[in-house]
Amino acid sequence: MALPHSDALALSRRVLRVLVALNLLVGFLIVALLVASLIAPDWVMRGLGVSTAPNSPPPLLGLRLIMVVGILATPLTHVALTRLRDIVGMVSAGDPFVVENAVRLQQIAWAVLGLELLHLAVGVIRAIASLDLHWSVSPTPWLSVLLLFVLARVFRQGALMREELEGTV
Amino acid sequence: MPITVKLDDMLHDRRMTLTELSEQIGITLANLSVLKTGKARAVRFSTLEAICATLQCQPGDLLEYTSPQTKESAP
Repeated sequence: MALPHSDALALSRRVLRVLVALNLLVGFLIVALLVASLIAPDWVMRGLGVSTAPNSPPPLLGLRLIMVVGILATPLTHVALTRLRDIVGMVSAGDPFVVENAVRLQQIAWAVLGLELLHLAVGVIRAIASLDLHWSVSPTPWLSVLLLFVLARVFRQGALMREELEGTV
Repeated sequence: MPITVKLDDMLHDRRMTLTELSEQIGITLANLSVLKTGKARAVRFSTLEAICATLQCQPGDLLEYTSPQTKESAP
């Protein structure tokens, strides 16, 4: 059964608020893990269940680099989630076709592009450091980036047309 | 904008208020006020038709074009 429009929006806003908080928490935890890996590397390696195979480079540097990537991903995810939350807020207020939302969509597109580049960086680190991590490339996120940029442009045009219509008597 | 709406003059000549015009043509006072103060970016033909029918005038009587150069050279 489909949710009523206002209920779906209210639910989306709550979910986004939780996701924003979770993202910041995860970012903080990754920072803590990185610091711990510098202070007590053996303890972190045991905690993560990583064992160093003989004749292979130590995986700690690769793991640290992936932690840095995770830390860099936090502000990008924050931008995407908060902008989406603001757009949902404006939809709830009944006035979504404004230039501000076009700008927000463009910021989300840049953030998702940044996240995808970081995802590629993880793949490179994984390959160089020979880490046993599940990693794959999918064209879907890249298509999403393209769609977001196009949608931002459509929104901008729509907002300008609406502005023009508002000045019509 | 070089286009001036002379609605104020037309209403003054006919001893009519903007509120009365609004009631007669069924366009909100807020929208007519936008038109009168020159803040409108476009005018619908239906609006022009309603105003002209009520004020017994032609669209050309309501609108005036002043070239920006003429405006600048005016004392």
